[in-house]
Amino acid sequence: MNSLRELENFILRKVLRRLDSENKKSKKLPLKTRLLSLPDNLIMAGKGAWRGRERVLAVFAGVFMASLVITTVLAYAVGLSGAFLQYSLQESIFDAKVDFADDPGPNSEGRTNDSVLWESLCDEFVSMDEFTDCGIVYGRQGIRVSGFFDEGFITPQPLNVVSVEGATGDWENVSWDYREALEWGPPINGERPIRFYGDGIWDGEFGDRHSVVGDSSRLIYGSWPPSAAEAAAKGAVVLPSMIASEAGVSVNDTISSLTFTYVTDNLGYENIGQGFDNCTGAEKYIPESGRLFCVVNMTVEGPMTVVAVYQEGTPTNPTLLFHPLMVSASVLSDEQKLILMDNDHGYLGLAVDRNELPTSSTSAATNWLDNLKEDVESGNYTSPNHLGAYVLVEYNDMISGTIIFLEIFLGIIQVFDYILMIPIVVLSFSVLIYGLVLSLEQRKREVSIHRVIGGTESNLSGMIMLEISIISFFAWLAGYLLALAGVPVILAAVGFMSFKSNVFDVTPTLSFWSTFAVILFTVGLALVFGKSRTNEFLSIEIDEGVRRVSQNRKPRYWLHTIVFLVGLLSYIESWIQGRGGVGSIGSTGLVRNFVLNALLLLFGPFFLWIGGALVLGRIGAAGPRIMTLLFSWSPAVSDIRRGLKGSGSSESVNRLAVIMLLTLSIVTLAAVQGYTGTVVDERTTAAQNGADVQVQFDSAVTEQQAREEVMQAIQRAGDSDITDIGHATSVADIFTSPKGEGTLIRTWVLFDDHEQALIWDTQAVPGDDIDEAASGWKAGGFTAGGEARSIDSISDISTGESLKIEYSEYGFGGLDSEFNPIITTTVTESTVSYMGRHQWVPGLSASEAEQAIVIGESTYRELVGNATADSFSSARWFFELCDQSDGDCADALRLVSAEITNGNGITAVSDWPSVHSENERNGGLIFGTPGLLSLQFVVASLASVASAFVFLSLVLTQRKKELAILQAIGASPNQVIRLVLFEIMAILLVSMGLGVVLGLAIAESFNGFFGIFGFIFQLFLGGSAPIDRDLVWPWFELALVNASVLVAVVAALLYTTRRALQADLAVVLKGE
Amino acid sequence: MDKWNSGGMGVLKVTDLRKGFGSGRRRLEVLTGVNLEVAPGELVSMMGPSGCGKSTLLNIIGGLLEADSGSISLGEFSYGTKAPSRVVDVRRRGVGWIFQDYHLLDRLSALDNVTFALELSGTRSSQAEEQARDALAKVGLEDRMGFIPDQLSGGQRQRVAVARAIAGSRPLLLADEPTGNLDIKSGEGIIDLFHQLCDDEGMSVLMVTHDPSLASMADRMLLLKDGITAASDIRSAWGEDARVEA
Repeated sequence: MNSLRELENFILRKVLRRLDSENKKSKKLPLKTRLLSLPDNLIMAGKGAWRGRERVLAVFAGVFMASLVITTVLAYAVGLSGAFLQYSLQESIFDAKVDFADDPGPNSEGRTNDSVLWESLCDEFVSMDEFTDCGIVYGRQGIRVSGFFDEGFITPQPLNVVSVEGATGDWENVSWDYREALEWGPPINGERPIRFYGDGIWDGEFGDRHSVVGDSSRLIYGSWPPSAAEAAAKGAVVLPSMIASEAGVSVNDTISSLTFTYVTDNLGYENIGQGFDNCTGAEKYIPESGRLFCVVNMTVEGPMTVVAVYQEGTPTNPTLLFHPLMVSASVLSDEQKLILMDNDHGYLGLAVDRNELPTSSTSAATNWLDNLKEDVESGNYTSPNHLGAYVLVEYNDMISGTIIFLEIFLGIIQVFDYILMIPIVVLSFSVLIYGLVLSLEQRKREVSIHRVIGGTESNLSGMIMLEISIISFFAWLAGYLLALAGVPVILAAVGFMSFKSNVFDVTPTLSFWSTFAVILFTVGLALVFGKSRTNEFLSIEIDEGVRRVSQNRKPRYWLHTIVFLVGLLSYIESWIQGRGGVGSIGSTGLVRNFVLNALLLLFGPFFLWIGGALVLGRIGAAGPRIMTLLFSWSPAVSDIRRGLKGSGSSESVNRLAVIMLLTLSIVTLAAVQGYTGTVVDERTTAAQNGADVQVQFDSAVTEQQAREEVMQAIQRAGDSDITDIGHATSVADIFTSPKGEGTLIRTWVLFDDHEQALIWDTQAVPGDDIDEAASGWKAGGFTAGGEARSIDSISDISTGESLKIEYSEYGFGGLDSEFNPIITTTVTESTVSYMGRHQWVPGLSASEAEQAIVIGESTYRELVGNATADSFSSARWFFELCDQSDGDCADALRLVSAEITNGNGITAVSDWPSVHSENERNGGLIFGTPGLLSLQFVVASLASVASAFVFLSLVLTQRKKELAILQAIGASPNQVIRLVLFEIMAILLVSMGLGVVLGLAIAESFNGFFGIFGFIFQLFLGGSAPIDRDLVWPWFELALVNASVLVAVVAALLYTTRRALQADLAVVLKGE
Repeated sequence: MDKWNSGGMGVLKVTDLRKGFGSGRRRLEVLTGVNLEVAPGELVSMMGPSGCGKSTLLNIIGGLLEADSGSISLGEFSYGTKAPSRVVDVRRRGVGWIFQDYHLLDRLSALDNVTFALELSGTRSSQAEEQARDALAKVGLEDRMGFIPDQLSGGQRQRVAVARAIAGSRPLLLADEPTGNLDIKSGEGIIDLFHQLCDDEGMSVLMVTHDPSLASMADRMLLLKDGITAASDIRSAWGEDARVEA
């Protein structure tokens, strides 16, 4: 009987193979037939997909995630360019300066001194789509070179203010020197410039750009005139805050006359000796540029009115020079305009429609700008009203300069972000692949049955591929659209899981090729993988498929273990290096070879992640056995524990464990690095700003005077959130020397209760208790910076040991017999006890802190005496005003800060929230990176919940028969539920625990990577706070995600088990 | 004595059992009033054309399916129209199931397969294991206790299934084509085993089979036709044509 059955099977197989091969040989259906049947096939595939929702869900989830993540990363890069460009451009008002193409002179071509004709060109420019506004400006002379580094760039001069007269204000007090400007860019001019704006500048786009910067007002007092007519009527003057402060003028004060210089001629160093042929004014030499200028005064008479005062922002593009006085050109007479035009001081300011600027890449933007320059310069501008006079122009683009900087900077950010997103891309692909495998495994029997009834390989494969195509297409589309919608949100992230409404109007779109690449990597991969897997099923024996017996390939455990071990090595290496060496191993770590070490640290975290998931996945899959060992005593388990034997050996359960490990470790990594970034930003802010508000006076003032000034500002601001000064302190700066040594050491003095105003961080002080450190200083302790410790007597001092320091005060002791001054020296000393090394002092330069020692007030009093200490004065004061992390307080601090700026003798004011906003954008995690980490966190969390649900459904569907058998042999529904619940929960709990541990290890491994990029960003942006990336462990958020996964799992379990229990036992057991 | 009854005091008594599937015009009445009895220690085989309701009847008796009406009396249990979830005790202590596909748990050893069924029924582990060993010894698998199903032949797997069914001292074994996947020799071995269990243990066996030669080895044969038990001997079971052919 047995041999008969074998013979039957043998013949059946032979016949089917013959049929199969004949079918293969048979010609395919004509194209027309295939096309006509396509709609029917698509509908059938759709119906098939709907019937097998669980397996469909697995493929959908994988493709959707892959599409979402890849599109997001690509669109994010596009959006980042756009946002960063807008961010960089928002400070600058003019996008282009149009000058005459030729220098002024008797033989010049294409020039005019007719300002009306010149201004009329604006009509032609604004009619172009690329420009939104245009107007004439009398200011810097024409520039006819390209690039900041050309010598010709420093020759054209602006109009510089000489003097101002007015009924109100102390204009005599104002310094018109502006030496800082020489340092902020090429050495063009060291005086305060002035611009006269024609009608086109006051309204429209230029009006807006002068009024606001980003989402805040550029003006701190008054308002920008709403129209050119109003500006002309008032003789509008807009002042930079520093000038207004020095002059003590405010809005509506009038100016009777204003004198400025214009330049008529200049000489380079090679011609200076010859002198000017005909200089009607004064000669002015600028040593920084080595050029001599002939400057002539021009005076405009009022009445002119101060209409607004603007905040001097950060210096940007130097083309138009920095922070000028802005005055309505209506105050210039026609004759004066003619002179300025003749001397090349009239140019056209242009506003480019920044939305038109391509943001897909910086090279696209540069090309666009180059083309624009070409278009503008190639025009022959003629005017019929001026007898056909034609004008040739030079287009000085100011956006390109910004772009050059961006190209380098964005490149680094993008590399960083791409690397950051590798894990989530890998994760989405693994969900896709596992989903495909599980979903296709479910169809194995179906495929074999189809073959038995005559289905050929090609039409079976076609049937499956069509279904996968439909699913993956919709999944790709959903992921793609969601990503494009989500990118602006990600770019608006200011901290981990913290978003602000985006001030930038970014609409990221992907180019055709990028979109194509996303399809290729998602739908394409699904199809390729689906095809190979399908072929694998088709290659197995029909009989084997029908009987559901197959030989699974043994996983390559050796490979998994090697990958994991390499990852582990990199973790240990980074741990050792992070601690500067451990035991006999030096700071170079275990791997001495530089290249190998770099490769290990770069790829190690990824190896640790993937290898860890695969190796630990096996432990996760063995969760039921582990839990059985632990809980076999419990009555809840005793009757079902035998059923758990061998659980986890199945491939699907193992996959579930691996997916859980992959997802939850990424969730952990994203949460840890995200929150760490947020805390790093806060710490950096505290270290930079020192307190709620830091005020720099132009000369030393006492605490009383400083408080009065700030109190007045608080009253002017009138904000209910800040009504009084909480605390004020300063840091005294003296020089001391260790007794017996001549070396002078910079010594900073912290006054008692400084910690109530200064925002300290545990990283800054020795030990980990700020109060303890503060008490130490108060009680005569001292700390030393790293470099200060190189001084002999401090270098070998241990914590708790004492040191005598001396302070010398020099005085005038009259004159000796030869009338030479007698210098008296008073030396005082104090014994201080060493507390340890400090890293920085809040609000003060971190590099100076390295060289300084820090003492407390009591020591200071011993050294300088009470009289000096009591009358201590300083130019820098720190104020505690409210709880800076509170939103209302932050607004109030900004307001008070602006008011203090307007006070007398104030050089600079910085407030915590403004510095914090800046750091959020540019700090430890830059521009949207918190958003990417948030995305990683959200996507991985969702992936873990969704994959738990989907995979469980699939696993349990596959086990429906087993559950029916259990019932047939006497298991109650309660026992079945307990068995399934215990088994899956055990896998999940063990995998979760391991996932979090793995995530923490990866976060630690990645920290070096984050640290390096953070350092690069700081180099670019000039930040100097030496904040270590001490990892923050957000246990609550991690617990929340894990709890959500558990809830999803329980829901999936109950849903699927209930379905399995409701199934017709007889039917399931029959195998129908 | 009815021709379909055992004559004695039956361990199983099925009375007027009815079961149909579908509704409306698609309604198909499969069992239209089945009456039967099985005596203690009796091996009864049941035959009938495909779709006549043999498996349906077995599933109802085994507590895997509920009937529309009628009643079943099995020892202390009285059921028939109760849902499968309410007759867990019948499956635990009333009937032992033997399927054509064995339905063993793949990852458990022979001993564990048998022990687990006992543990699920509430037997303490140590006692369950002892009973399982006895049962496996009875089916001749003392030396295969630690083997998982993949390591056993078809006949041995079916013996494990038999051991699992008899280990709980259940009065009735239900066997749905128990030899369907076995060669002739192994099939006969299983029938011999059934006889042995009936004779030695006093168990009753109700077996569905398509194989007349195996069916004829039973103590009594039932024919299910048109939804009722139509005959209790081979000749009447196969009807007039069968007699002519025979």
